[in-house]
Amino acid sequence: MKSTLYTPIVAACLALVATAALSAQERKPVDVSTLGPQVGERVPDFALPDQHGRNRTLDSIMGEKGAMILFHRSADW
Amino acid sequence: MELQERFEELQAEGLGVAAISYDSEEVLAAFAERHGITDVALLSDDDSAAIRAFGIYNHVAEEGLGPNAEDPVVKADVLRYVAVFGALPIAVGTPFPGTFVVDRQGRVTARFFEEFYRERNTAANIMLKLGTPISGSAGSSGETAHLEINATQSDPAITVGSRFHLALDITPKPGMHVYAPGAGDAGYRVVGLTLEVPGFLRLLPTDYPESEIYYFEPLDERVAVYQEPFRLVQEVVVEGDQESSAQLAEIDVLTLTGRLDYQACDDRICYDPASVPLTWTLTVSPLDRQRALAAGQ
Repeated sequence: MKSTLYTPIVAACLALVATAALSAQERKPVDVSTLGPQVGERVPDFALPDQHGRNRTLDSIMGEKGAMILFHRSADW
Repeated sequence: MELQERFEELQAEGLGVAAISYDSEEVLAAFAERHGITDVALLSDDDSAAIRAFGIYNHVAEEGLGPNAEDPVVKADVLRYVAVFGALPIAVGTPFPGTFVVDRQGRVTARFFEEFYRERNTAANIMLKLGTPISGSAGSSGETAHLEINATQSDPAITVGSRFHLALDITPKPGMHVYAPGAGDAGYRVVGLTLEVPGFLRLLPTDYPESEIYYFEPLDERVAVYQEPFRLVQEVVVEGDQESSAQLAEIDVLTLTGRLDYQACDDRICYDPASVPLTWTLTVSPLDRQRALAAGQ
């Protein structure tokens, strides 16, 4: 019967397609707009030393209306 | 220093500022010292813990050095978010560069993220990299970390129907190059002048000088660049129609603002795309008086 002959091939093809779809799902191009807290969400607190060796937190850098937090690659290169 | 000045402006608006990177306290202390940064909190996240907590850890830097380095999607992301030379060990631990503005409760009110190599102008970029505008009317010059820029203009005064040009003489600093027309196809940001002009002015295409081809061995890539001093010329036409004349008659002085966008690289690294603010001031001559003068000569 033809159908029994084709079934494994079809199944294999489907499996391949599924695998391809899965791997594409595993590693999509990075979309920076989706990363990190979005507008309306709260940012995590932090406790980090500044250039003078003082410990700083979200609260300690806060101005009267809020704060701007910049993330850089490096000051060194 | 620019960052310090920006800080003062932001502070006046009621915003505190912190800049976070994976640098050690010593590196940040030296940077602050060099650039006269006293009030801006430069925070050392040397184990990238805060960067991870914010969810913006640049995992691409590691992937580019790991077993999936040859994955085309990974490769593309490395070019975009790490470096055109491919993966760089020093980039491991860095964030995707970006900025969050938060309210008193720590809720995000605005966020700006840069795509490393195909960059939009972001507030972060503008706030951090813009110094005092370079004014063409004063024939003034300025410099960034990568370029020296001198702005000039052909005529101090314009009138209906006149045609004038604004020029930028740009000198890449030693070892630096910026990208020339044609390099955009390879994903690089071509150096370019953007001007905001009123309706009675018409911009002609910016005139670019001939570029040279830079061979970048690691990628076996040939890209059009400028490494030597070069000049960009922007011709501007003052429209001659009645409406334009009427608008021009209303003003004595016209200030044009714009920016120079570029991305600079040396043989080791590509720096973040940058924008430099520019301004030109032009005097508007009444048409009739110019005609009268011409008639009198």
